[in-house]
Amino acid sequence: MASRDTRNRMTATALWVFVAGMVGLSFASVPLYQLFCDVTGYGGQPKTDVAAGPSEISEKTITVRFDSNINPNLPWRFKPVQRQVTVRLGEERLAFYQAKNLSKGDATGTALFNVTPFKAGQYFSKIDCFCFTEQTLTAGQVADMPVQFFVDPEILNDPNTRDLKTITLSYTFYKTEPDEAPSDAPKTAARDDTQLNKPEKG
Amino acid sequence: MANAADAHHDEHDHHMPGFFTRWFCSTNHKDIGTLYIIVSFIAAIVGGAMSWYIRLELAEPGIQYIDDFQFYNVLVTAHGFLMVFFVVMPAMIGGFGNWFVPLMIGAPDMAFPRMNNISFWLLAAGLVLLVLSTIIGDGPGTGWTVYPPLASADFHPGPSVDFGILALHLAGASSILGAINFIVTIFNMRAPGMTIHRMPLFVWAILITAFLLLLALPVLAGALTMLLTDRNFGTAFFIPGEGGDPVLWQHLFWFFGHPEVYIIIIPAFGIISEVVSTFSKKPVFGYLGMAYAMSAIGVVGFVVWAHHMFTIGFTADTRAYFTAATMVIAVPTGVKIFSWLATMWGGSIKFEVPMLYAFGFIFLFVVGGVTGITLANSSADVVFHDTYFVVAHFHYVMAIAAVLAMFSGYFYWVGKMIGRQYPRGLAKLQFWVFFIGVNVTFFPQHFSGFAGMPRRIPDYPAPYEGWNYVSSVGALITAIGTLLFFIVVWRTFSGPKVADNEWGEGATTLEWTIASPAPWHTHEVMPDMTGKAPAE
Repeated sequence: MASRDTRNRMTATALWVFVAGMVGLSFASVPLYQLFCDVTGYGGQPKTDVAAGPSEISEKTITVRFDSNINPNLPWRFKPVQRQVTVRLGEERLAFYQAKNLSKGDATGTALFNVTPFKAGQYFSKIDCFCFTEQTLTAGQVADMPVQFFVDPEILNDPNTRDLKTITLSYTFYKTEPDEAPSDAPKTAARDDTQLNKPEKG
Repeated sequence: MANAADAHHDEHDHHMPGFFTRWFCSTNHKDIGTLYIIVSFIAAIVGGAMSWYIRLELAEPGIQYIDDFQFYNVLVTAHGFLMVFFVVMPAMIGGFGNWFVPLMIGAPDMAFPRMNNISFWLLAAGLVLLVLSTIIGDGPGTGWTVYPPLASADFHPGPSVDFGILALHLAGASSILGAINFIVTIFNMRAPGMTIHRMPLFVWAILITAFLLLLALPVLAGALTMLLTDRNFGTAFFIPGEGGDPVLWQHLFWFFGHPEVYIIIIPAFGIISEVVSTFSKKPVFGYLGMAYAMSAIGVVGFVVWAHHMFTIGFTADTRAYFTAATMVIAVPTGVKIFSWLATMWGGSIKFEVPMLYAFGFIFLFVVGGVTGITLANSSADVVFHDTYFVVAHFHYVMAIAAVLAMFSGYFYWVGKMIGRQYPRGLAKLQFWVFFIGVNVTFFPQHFSGFAGMPRRIPDYPAPYEGWNYVSSVGALITAIGTLLFFIVVWRTFSGPKVADNEWGEGATTLEWTIASPAPWHTHEVMPDMTGKAPAE
């Protein structure tokens, strides 16, 4: 019997390693998933690691629409200045959103972004954007927020995307606590130290 | 039920522990199996009552009974949690698995009897936490999928969802411990001569299920932990405003959730294989094919999870892959269906109650499988997503199919468990009432779903009224069928005694070689299976 007990214990130990491995895998999936989305443009993640526009500018044009959303926790009004623009592929373009702080105090927000259809993400490049950093507005302040972008002419060479006529760029502003100032909202402040994929480009 | 069951177990034993020691500190696989079945009965009554209340509200348009919509969501959520984690899994894996795996492989007990005890009591504690979650605060109105942001602290600020998460943690830990116990038992404690390829198919089913549990549940545990820390400890795994992504939850949840539906249905396959073979008086057609079909379903089940989330905006290539991979599962399930039919073909079929339930299972599983192929098409699924068509599909293929398999297993083995014959006529009536009831309930939901009726909403426009009314009438018939079942269970305890092998020559597995009811200790000397034919 002793030998069978040993065998049982060895099998059980091996199975526990399985379990531990799967728990580890579930947590490892968080950074892996992030990496995957950034590299492939899944979920409509635009490219943000570009320094300048592409060399060639195509004659073909595409319409870029602008969408704005705001989390109810942030007391702002946030609208695109222009509803849509038509750009030539490869052409760098500057567009503006306008934000107004409706509250009686300072408020800081960070904008998250994506493009739809998602498959256009890898061809939509942002050179500079207000969404790369936190934005703070004082009480009643109105600010124009610029985004500089281009659509890569490569979009025409991809059979999945060459039929696209319109890309929608969407932003959602969320309240964040400014890095330097002490917080007044405990829950959000507590979360501030763990930011997984906040855009780091400035 | 427990007390009545006790009296019959143990005529052969020399020293029996007292009531508390026997039932609260139990290390006996049969007693623990009985405890699991009792928990499953209790949870089934509560979970069933919730579904009947939901159907009562949905019987006509407008709001009749449930004017607190959060409460409606809580009912839907708790019904799902209870039925999946506290009815089907305890009955089939904990209940029948504990009772019959050691008996079928010729082992005296499970490999780790005390761990077996902990498994059960973790599950019981999980049930307590789940009940607490619904009565503390607003209750968890998240659906059993617990998607953030609805499940986040912003939209469920109270402690309810935290209790629910901890309940699933405990139920998950219970299942992981149980799975390890089953795998070790099946690998190391088979009777001499019973090779892997000679095990009964029910044992195969439990072995595969245990591996699925071992691979899927830790992922759920990890995801639940992330959700718990998001809600309480300042992390942002699923909070978009702080850099997380709610879609990640969907990936993690369904990486667990899809194998979970096979965790529910594969033990049912095992039970149905035993029953069909017994009552056709033939070995199962294509034994090895059956065993490896279950293995294939288990393996492929891990790479199809995204078909639950076709609406999140995958690329066409991703959708094509998940559509194709999902449809591939129809091949091994088809192997199983046709092998059952081939087992019956030319067999000497006896229409005993377990066999009726096996027929019912095969019918329901085929109907649900066909709608499953429909839904596997991502383009169609985008339209059907979150409609009653999906509700009808998964209730057919995994919910009531699993319940029918449980009934089949119950009537097949109840003589072995308590040594008495169930009332045959009443049980046949119970089958027909229940079978008609569930079909009248769920078949019309295909039509309402096709017409676009959404899930998880307590009200609907008047054009959906007709089929909803029919569906609610079906729920009433099902409720009568359920009541009849408990009357059958009650009457069984005063039924006539059964023979050791009550089903005759078709029943060839080892549990029929021991006395009925099974004595407290069995297979103290392992039977020698050397040179014998495969169990099926």
